[in-house]
Amino acid sequence: MAGGILVIAEHLDGKVAPSTLELIAAATSLRVERHGVRLVVFGHGVKELADHLAGYTVDVLVAEHPLLAEYTGDAYVQAVRGIVESTNPRLVLIAHTAQGYDLAPALAGAMDLPVLTNCLAIDLQEGRLVAARRILNEKVHVEVEVRSDRPIVVTMRPGATPPQGTGRGTMSVTEVPVSIDPAAVRVKFVRMERPEVADIDLSSADVIVSAGRGIQKKENLRLVEEFAKAIGGVVGASRPLTDLEWLPKTRQVGQSGKTVRPKLYVACGISGAMQHIAGMKDAGLILAINTDPTAPIFEVAHVGFVANVLELLPAVLKELKAG
Amino acid sequence: MALNLVVCLKQVPNPDLQFQVAPDGKDIKREGLNYKVNGADEYALEEAVRLKEKHGGRVVVLTLGPKRTEPMLREALAKGADEAVRVAYDDPAAFDVGKNARILAAAIRTLPHDLVLTGVQSDDYAYSATGGLVAGLLGLPHASVVTRVAVHDGDLEVACELEGGLERVVALPRPALLTIQFGANTPRYAPLPAIMKAARQPIKEIGPAALGLPGWDAIPLPYAFGVVRLSPPVAKGHAEMITGPIPEQAKKLAQLLREKGFVRR
Ligand SMILES: Cc1cc2nc3c(=O)[nH]c(=O)nc-3n(C[C@H](O)[C@H](O)[C@H](O)COP(=O)(O)OP(=O)(O)OC[C@H]3O[C@@H](n4cnc5c(N)ncnc54)[C@H](O)[C@@H]3O)c2cc1C
Repeated sequence: MAGGILVIAEHLDGKVAPSTLELIAAATSLRVERHGVRLVVFGHGVKELADHLAGYTVDVLVAEHPLLAEYTGDAYVQAVRGIVESTNPRLVLIAHTAQGYDLAPALAGAMDLPVLTNCLAIDLQEGRLVAARRILNEKVHVEVEVRSDRPIVVTMRPGATPPQGTGRGTMSVTEVPVSIDPAAVRVKFVRMERPEVADIDLSSADVIVSAGRGIQKKENLRLVEEFAKAIGGVVGASRPLTDLEWLPKTRQVGQSGKTVRPKLYVACGISGAMQHIAGMKDAGLILAINTDPTAPIFEVAHVGFVANVLELLPAVLKELKAG
Repeated sequence: MALNLVVCLKQVPNPDLQFQVAPDGKDIKREGLNYKVNGADEYALEEAVRLKEKHGGRVVVLTLGPKRTEPMLREALAKGADEAVRVAYDDPAAFDVGKNARILAAAIRTLPHDLVLTGVQSDDYAYSATGGLVAGLLGLPHASVVTRVAVHDGDLEVACELEGGLERVVALPRPALLTIQFGANTPRYAPLPAIMKAARQPIKEIGPAALGLPGWDAIPLPYAFGVVRLSPPVAKGHAEMITGPIPEQAKKLAQLLREKGFVRR
């Protein structure tokens, strides 16, 4: 049963990652010959989840094993490997999430397979996979191709493909055997740590003014704070600023921080890396201030100011005070 | 419990720059670019040096790249690495992460390693794949997006960052590979005497022959890789851009904020 596309579902705490629905859509749009698209749900006690996913117009395989109860790279690589070997797909699609970073390249390394990660779009053409990617801080678009007679492991950037919707009726759900050698599972799950809730809750703010590395010095946060206050907002930040501990971690917007949806988001000296965009792209009105007209933040912003934020903010404050 | 630590460093063009596509569309124009060490790799190096300071051992920094990477390696020596190795793979673009990782893995096989550290991603190509690939190729247990590392007698306990601030703590035996996340520590500055000393330290060079290969293209790959073309990004959307003198931009911004009702009276 060679051919087709194997999509690896991602889930945590009984919930499917939104990126999984995007992968299904990306795979389905490729119109592959023969066995089409199959979604594999790995885990323990995930039958219900699998049934739910069969509602998204995709055939589902369930691969259950006690050692898959919590994700570990070792157990997942073994389990995925078994299914890749028995089904020999053309593509193995995985989301470019923290779990995907861990799984996809290690699987490719262990099985000696080609791998292409962080793709925005993919296309299967005769004998080759063409992938569109962004490089150099999102400032350059690149298309690359891979030819291989082996399955190609691909990770897709979350948010790049609109998610698959549910269809009428459900598709098949098939249980597949998984064999895992416990001795070869060297990585052991210890515990989950959840962020403490303290400070302000950014996700409930209507107006957020976020500072990025472009503000250059911790002292300049005062300027951003003053501006935020003038427009009734709170201060958020890109990751480098919370890493530097200029602001508490609770203020970080993005993939590994908060996802926010304020009415107004002002990005001050933020380049617009995909991990930042992931947390703020759905804000009502996005303004960006950046010295670099090619900064990718301008692709999601509604209005862009090509300016030194350290000069523009004082000037705006003056304007606002003047009434 | 002295640790043999290997840190993979990548030199990348300063990502704050603006880039142009080369006439043949296969690379960016590289003349006049300035290069720096990849952001996440700085945290990987710092983590390694701290582990050495705490538990004893040696830190070897390893890069794959042309001669221009030498100042980066010397900086790493000045920050506490004991030995620097350059795999003399001179392709300035090196877009194929699978090939890069296979060469790196072959080089790491020749070095004693209890722990291999890489950055979580490179700022230029953003594959987040080198570390995982090397782990898979070498058969090492691995953990990704690591923000904390504790070394115990027989194993390691590390925290891996997930989305939204969640962290998964896992234990794994050595030898192992970890990809280190931004912010895992606070990278140090190199002290001046160390910079002067590092300027005189030798950098070991590994060519294909040292890895039993007639040339870099002889490294076996299960695929053929190609760059189709580079181009300026075509954005799905784009901001209405305001340029010009600061006072005018400030007026426009203030007016916009008033119009939209964000200015408190
Ligand atoms: C697994 C993972 C998770 C991550 N999670 C997050 C996350 O949740 N949130 C997040 O933000 N990042 C996250 N990152 C980091 C992300 O990749 C970027 O490194 C980060 O967003 C960059 O922050 P920045 O835009 O402030 O800095 P930079 O990318 O350095 O950008 C600074 C910008 O400021 C501009 N600038 C400089 N000076 C001025 C000036 N005087 N006036 C105006 N503009 C100026 C520059 O042109 C540049 O565009 C994550 C990374 C990884 C690998």
